[in-house]
Parts: sequence; C-alpha cells; structure tokens
Amino acid sequence: MKLVTRYNRVNLLTTIVVMLITGIIYYQAISLILISQLEKDLVVEENEIFESVDVNHHLPQVFKSNDQQITFTEAAPGSVKREFINTIYRNYNNLKYAKRHHHHDDDDEFETGRGLITSVTVGDRYYKVLIVVSTVEAEDLIKIIFGITAGVILLLFVTLYVTNRLLLNRLWQPFYDLLRELRLFNITDNKDIPLEKTRIDEFEELNQAIISMSTRVKSDYKELKTFTENASHELLTPIAVINSKLDTLIQTDSFTVKQSKLLNDLYSGVSRLTRLNQSLLLLVKIENRLLESKEDIDLKLHVEDMLIQFEEIFLDKELKVTTELGEKELVTSTYLVDILLNNLLGNAIRHNRVGGEIRIKLTDELLTIQNTGATESLKDDAIFTRFHKSTESEGSGLGLTISRQICENLNFTLNYCYKAPFHTFTVNF
Amino acid sequence: MKILIIEDEKGLRESIEEYFAEAGNICETASNYQEAMAKVSIYSYDCILLDITLPGGSGIEILKNLKRNNNTDGVLIISAKNSLDDRLEGLDLGADDYLVKPFHLSELRARVTAIIRRKTFNGSNLLVFNEINIDLLAKTAKVNDQSVKLTRKEYALLLYFIANKGKVVSKNAIAEHLWGDGMDLANNFDFIYSHIKNLRKKLLEAGSNDYIQAAYGMGYKFTSQ
Repeated sequence: MKLVTRYNRVNLLTTIVVMLITGIIYYQAISLILISQLEKDLVVEENEIFESVDVNHHLPQVFKSNDQQITFTEAAPGSVKREFINTIYRNYNNLKYAKRHHHHDDDDEFETGRGLITSVTVGDRYYKVLIVVSTVEAEDLIKIIFGITAGVILLLFVTLYVTNRLLLNRLWQPFYDLLRELRLFNITDNKDIPLEKTRIDEFEELNQAIISMSTRVKSDYKELKTFTENASHELLTPIAVINSKLDTLIQTDSFTVKQSKLLNDLYSGVSRLTRLNQSLLLLVKIENRLLESKEDIDLKLHVEDMLIQFEEIFLDKELKVTTELGEKELVTSTYLVDILLNNLLGNAIRHNRVGGEIRIKLTDELLTIQNTGATESLKDDAIFTRFHKSTESEGSGLGLTISRQICENLNFTLNYCYKAPFHTFTVNF
Repeated sequence: MKILIIEDEKGLRESIEEYFAEAGNICETASNYQEAMAKVSIYSYDCILLDITLPGGSGIEILKNLKRNNNTDGVLIISAKNSLDDRLEGLDLGADDYLVKPFHLSELRARVTAIIRRKTFNGSNLLVFNEINIDLLAKTAKVNDQSVKLTRKEYALLLYFIANKGKVVSKNAIAEHLWGDGMDLANNFDFIYSHIKNLRKKLLEAGSNDYIQAAYGMGYKFTSQ
C-alpha cells in the first residue's frame, strides 16, 4: 500500500467519523433549540388562551390555521396533566394541496407537530386544551441546515482528498528521487549519489544520512578491495620463493619414489595456489576496470585460435567439438575477451566427461558454448559466486565470477541453462 | 654469461643465483636500489634480472637510467605486478622481457637465454647443441645435416630443454611453458609425456644422441652426460 493511499484512507476515515459525530450533535442541538422555541410558542399561546378566558369568560374562538391548531374538549375536572407531546395532526393546507393534485393518500393529510396538553376552566366547566404547532418548518430548517452541512462535508472531503494527493505526491518527490538513485547505486562506481536539495528537514536529513552511508560503504568496499589486492600481492613473493626452492630442490640428489611423489604433490599445490592468487588479482583488476581498452576484435578468429590451443586437450579427453561460427566484430579489450573465452571453454572441457561433446555457436547476437557433463542442472545463480565449485573441480572457483564480471564490464550478459544433455553458457552481446 | 640479479627477496635471489651458477656463468646480486644502481653503472652484464619493487627505489628508475646511458645490457623484469600497463611500461622503456612472479626457474632461464642469444649473436639465428642445429628464424631443427620435422610444441620443448640443459625441469614448468593458462585443464601430464616421447623419437631417428632423461617421475633432464 502506498503511503498516500494509507494516509488518505486514515485521513478520510477519521474525517467521516468526526463529521458524523459532529453531524449528530449538530442535529440534536438544532432540534433541541427549535423544539424549545416551538414549546415557547406553545406556552405563549396557552397564556393567550388563559388571558382570553380570564377576560371573556368563555373559550376563545379558534381559527384554523396551517401551523397551529387549538382544540378544546370537555374533560373531567382535574383529569388533565399538563405536558408536551409529539403528535400528528391534520393539516388543511396539505389537504388542499393533496386535493388539488388529486392526491388521496390519507397519510399526506397529516403532519407531525408538537403539542401542548393543558387545561382551562371556564366557569365551572373543565376543558382539556390541545395546542398543536407544526414542526414541519422546523424540520425543513433542520433539513436545510443538515443538507448544507453535508454539502460542506462532501466538499471538504473532495478537497482534502485532492489536495492530499497532489500535495503528498509533491512532498514525497524527493523521497522517490532518492529511491531511484538508491536503486542505481553501484558499490563499484566511483561517482556519488546525486541528490537534489530539498527544503524539507526530514528529507534533507535522509539525504545526508544516505550520503554518509554510501561514502562509508564505498570506502569500506574500497578498503576491502585494496586488502584483497595487497594480500594477493604479498602472497606472490612467498609463492615465488617456494616455487624457486622446489625448482632448486629437484636439482639436488636423486629421489626415492616416495619423495618424488611428495614433490609432485607440492608442485601441484603451489601451482594451484598461484592460479588462485592470479585469479583473485585479475578479478580485482577487472572489477576496478583497470583492464579496459578498445581494440578491433575478430571474435571468430579468436575462438578458432583458442580451439587450436586446446586441440591436444580435446584429443586427450576424446571430446567431439562442433562449431558453427559466424562473423562477429567487437571493439573492446582483447585481453578481457581472451580471458572470457578461455574461462568458458576451459569450463566446458574441465567439466566434460571423456568422450563427451562441445558445441560452440557464434552469431551476431550471441555466443553459446555447450558441453556434456554432469547429468543434472547446476545451481543457476550460485555458480557465478566466488569460490563456488564442484567438489572434484581443480579450478580456482573464480572462473565464472571473472567471466560474469567481464561480461558486465563489456555490457554483455552471461547466462547458464541446462537442457539434457547440454550445459549451456550464453553470452549475449 | 654475466648476470646481475636485482631482487630484494633473499630466498628468491639465492635460488636464482644457484640455478644460474655453473661453469662459464658469473652471477652477481643486488638487494636494494642503491646497490643495484652502483653495480649497473660500473659493470656491464649480459642480462639484468630486475625486480620492480625494491627497498630504496623503483626498478623502473634503474631501467630508465640504463636506457639514458645507452646501456645495451639485456633487461628482464621480474615483478609481482601483473598488469598490462606495468608490462607495457616496462617493455616501452626498453626492457627485453617481462616475467611475472611466481615463475619457474627453468622458465626464467629460458627467457634469459633467449635475451642473451638475441644480444650476443647479434642477429645470428643459429643455435647449436652438439650435433643439433636449430635455425631460430625458420624455426627448424637439424641433426647433423638431416632435418627433423618438429611440431610447434616439440620445437618449443626442444628450445626449452637446451636453455635448461643439465637441469631437471619439472613437468609443471614444461606444462606451463607449453600451454600457459590452459595448463590446469589437463588432469594429468600425459600430453607432456607424449610430446617428449615424440621429440625424443624424432631426434633419435635423425641420428642424435639420447639427451632426454626422465628424472624420478617429476620431470625431465636434457643432458649430454
């Protein structure tokens, strides 16, 4: 849910509730005021009747009016309790109205009214007096007031909704800008996150926090890289010493079978260490984009060269190699392209089985290298991570990481898929 | 040949010195910038093995100084820095070759031999080892007067052996020399064996002595003894 939606929802909901409560209170208050006004009128009327009776000693003449009706009924003395009542009465105006419109519904002839039951004694006769005034006008008034109020609420509603939408969207713009920049954030990039100035304190603080965070992250990352590079560099010299001492050692006396076996193992260990170290250094360099250059490359030629280089290995492993090479020109670093080809082809050989097959296809859009090998798919994403390798692999575990990094640098994509019996690596140019 | 080893790492320096020390070779060493500068300005060498990172200064400065003085000593840079730029800078400044640490001593020896050969024979392209004659330009070999048809790899192998004559060369070193980066793909060293077997057979058939000896299962030795 978007913040705006959420905010609007809460906002509107509270507005509705508050407005409803206010409306009810408002309605009640106005009703009370109007009713009490009507009751005052009724009391005035009652007093008039009393006065008239006092003066004239007979019941006053009753005029039928629209809004007010007075009826006198004789009653047993003392039987009438003075009280206000809600009642309905026949409205003659309405009656006429109904007749004029040929309206015969009985209900329409009645209106709600507020009545006062009281009593009056004229001479020795006791009368029950019912004074009724119409509440219709009062109700109309309430309706009008209520209608206006509702209209105002609705207007407020719409205004709130629209302004919130516009305002919030505008207010949050720096946030969305920031978010977009964060998505583009690349730890290996040297450029900072370009942030727009904002006058909103919170966003300014957020910007500052992001800037300091990204700077810290980048410097940490840089340090880590420098550390990797330095560590690998420092390792080179001791490895060189071991290597040279081994070379020197085998010049000395003759060795027993056991000794030469040990020496051979030492050699291959050192050799793996060397390759691992070189791969690490290479990876750091590629990540730092230190190896970029622009040369015209005939990729077909490079692939063919590579195949010649590996010829003996193909023979040794009895691999059947089929190629379908189209022309493809690239303008980029020969060094990187060669490493890429070497790694991919190397993998296709290393993870192949004796008597297996390798298929290479080159078109203008892509280069695919397929090989037989293990009969199940590799873990798609894990294979591109550092030091991920099959247990029997003699490689450094960095080959595919390097390959993917090279592709990233050259704006290619490198993908893997498995469709029995072929493991396929595809480079999309 | 006369060689100067400029290398600050004692272990490595001694190994190189020992590997090159034999009758007819003079090896001198320098372990820091000042010592190296002093030696190169007084003496002349067939080949200078130059480490780039030295205590007291950069090997690049020594190289620049050599070239400024029109010194014709061969220079082989041995460096832990394996970036293309460093390599190009070194070669641009007039170094003859660039070898990245770690390396096999036999590889170093082969490179040094190649440099000295280019310098000393001054364009002569014949390499002779007893009855074996190699034309370095045409990349062909003859035993006495009979030509031997060698493949590219066999030819490279023969040169490598002659440069390291009398030394045990490990199979790893041979594999790296012949296949470079692709070498770890071979799960065994059978190819080397077949290459060596073929080379030996061809040389023997052409009437050469048998110079190639297997050395205790870990390498080979090219020797006339």
